[in-house]
Amino acid sequence: MKPALRNPWTYIAFVVPTLLLYSLFFVYPVIVSFIYGLYRWDGVSAKAFIGIDNFTRLLDDATFLKSLGNNIYFMAFSLIVNIPLVFLISIAISKVRRMRGFYKSAVFIPVVISTATVAILFGVLYDYDSGLFNQALRAVGGESWAREWLSNPHLAMLSILIANAWQNIGFFIVLCLAAILNIPKEIGEAAKIDGVDGWNETRFVTLPLVRPILFVMLLLTVSGTLKVLDIVQIMTNGGPFQSTEVMSTYMLKVGFRSMELGYGSAIGVAMFIITMAMTGILHRISRTEEVHF
Amino acid sequence: MDRMLQTNASARTGTTGGGSGLNGRIRRGQLPMHLLLWAYVIVTLFPLVWLLLSSFKTNREITVNTWAPPSRINFSNYKAAWESAHIGSYAVNSLYVTLAACLLTLLLSSATAFALSRMRYKGLSKNIFAFILIGLIVPPSAVFIPLYQLVTDLHLMNTLRSLILVYCTYALPITIFILHAFMQSIPRELEEAGIMDGLGAAGLFARIILPVTVPALVTVFILAFIGNWNEYIFSQLFVTTESLRTLPTGMATFNDGYRTNFSSLSAAVIISILPVLAVYMFLQRQIIDGMTAGSVKG
Repeated sequence: MKPALRNPWTYIAFVVPTLLLYSLFFVYPVIVSFIYGLYRWDGVSAKAFIGIDNFTRLLDDATFLKSLGNNIYFMAFSLIVNIPLVFLISIAISKVRRMRGFYKSAVFIPVVISTATVAILFGVLYDYDSGLFNQALRAVGGESWAREWLSNPHLAMLSILIANAWQNIGFFIVLCLAAILNIPKEIGEAAKIDGVDGWNETRFVTLPLVRPILFVMLLLTVSGTLKVLDIVQIMTNGGPFQSTEVMSTYMLKVGFRSMELGYGSAIGVAMFIITMAMTGILHRISRTEEVHF
Repeated sequence: MDRMLQTNASARTGTTGGGSGLNGRIRRGQLPMHLLLWAYVIVTLFPLVWLLLSSFKTNREITVNTWAPPSRINFSNYKAAWESAHIGSYAVNSLYVTLAACLLTLLLSSATAFALSRMRYKGLSKNIFAFILIGLIVPPSAVFIPLYQLVTDLHLMNTLRSLILVYCTYALPITIFILHAFMQSIPRELEEAGIMDGLGAAGLFARIILPVTVPALVTVFILAFIGNWNEYIFSQLFVTTESLRTLPTGMATFNDGYRTNFSSLSAAVIISILPVLAVYMFLQRQIIDGMTAGSVKG
């Protein structure tokens, strides 16, 4: 009997279409991206090979460095503000007995809304004359408290970060909650019998046991904030005065507005390398972290 | 991956037990938690409620009576938004692109995951699988420029087909990854009955493995659907014809044109999120599980 699961024609028919599509729209552009990065090219005239000049230029490009700095700011804010809030809310949800499903569903609502819509929504909320933020501030402290949220270079980035947090925190809460609820409840009960109170249980029992999910959240935050694009492009498109420029918005401007396709590709490659390096380091650290119940 | 799916599963069941003697003490201690959570939920949902109220007001009312409910419920903002923003046609484009890309993704990736996880070409399959998983670590933003050139060269610029093909391609790695893990866990005995009945590999796939994989297919379908439905940047790069825009890019364009007309803008945003929220009401659990299943992608 011919083994049914060794049929080369079926295998080819099942695998090759996927590989063709994947190679054409993913692998090929990735390779080309690295090649374009070595050329000066405006998309019309002939390409000029310039070696790694595009990459050395990155190191002197104040706007690129500013963009990278903004990505790091984005990352730092998400790590310092969002993640503790995620832990706080998910621990609270895990401690309550009633309405757990309601809380989980409610905090997840912003996650299903598209980033484009969230950006527009916050554009309305941040409006100087009638936006929610300024109207609330005026109600508390009078006219002088109103701010130009998106057109003030010192506030624009913060405004985007708040909108981004509003959209993303629910996703992390659900991940973190799942990890907390996955801890066998015998552990919590044992702690209670030993007289451990709620705070100490959280501090010494729950938090150490959900470390793996902390690493997942760190990875998602690092890779997500390095490639952030939609929300910045729609809310400010990098302005005012490049105060919110991030690597991806800068790359699109260089590539499609200034038509420097080679330099734009080099920025894309740089983003790729920076992301790989940072997530690689995190992976290395997290590999030593295993939790056994 | 397995760990993720497990944790999701256990989040669903939750924990409701506990000693009855402890109950009273625990419940008393829960009030601060509920207050904290209610505060958080209100802060989270208030912008949406505020937007809903604004969508029934005139622009003047929004500025002057910010905190008051609308003086009367009138749908003129909705009418204006619907007519000037072409939300209807954007939604149709989005639905077409999203569904076509999802179905193509499911078709290709279920077949590929089957071949790689269950057919007897172990060495080759392992290499192909590793090759496909590279797609999980490269951020798409790194390839915008070459991809734009490619779409132009293939004469796909300004077509919805470009989006279908690109969305499908970028969903393949994570989908294959999830389906591969699932199919690998299916016991061999299930296939043996089929082999006895004389089924070939394709028959085993369609008649035995695929029906068992339905729960995982639902998960990846939702993951791909939400991703495609909300996708903004490819759509903005590849489609510039007004009538072909998808909902996110259409909304962004409308936003640029109506930045100061908040009543219309509010109505447009409400129209664009209502269908999503309606679907979410009914499929909360599946949507939450589907979307978080993709979190290994980081």
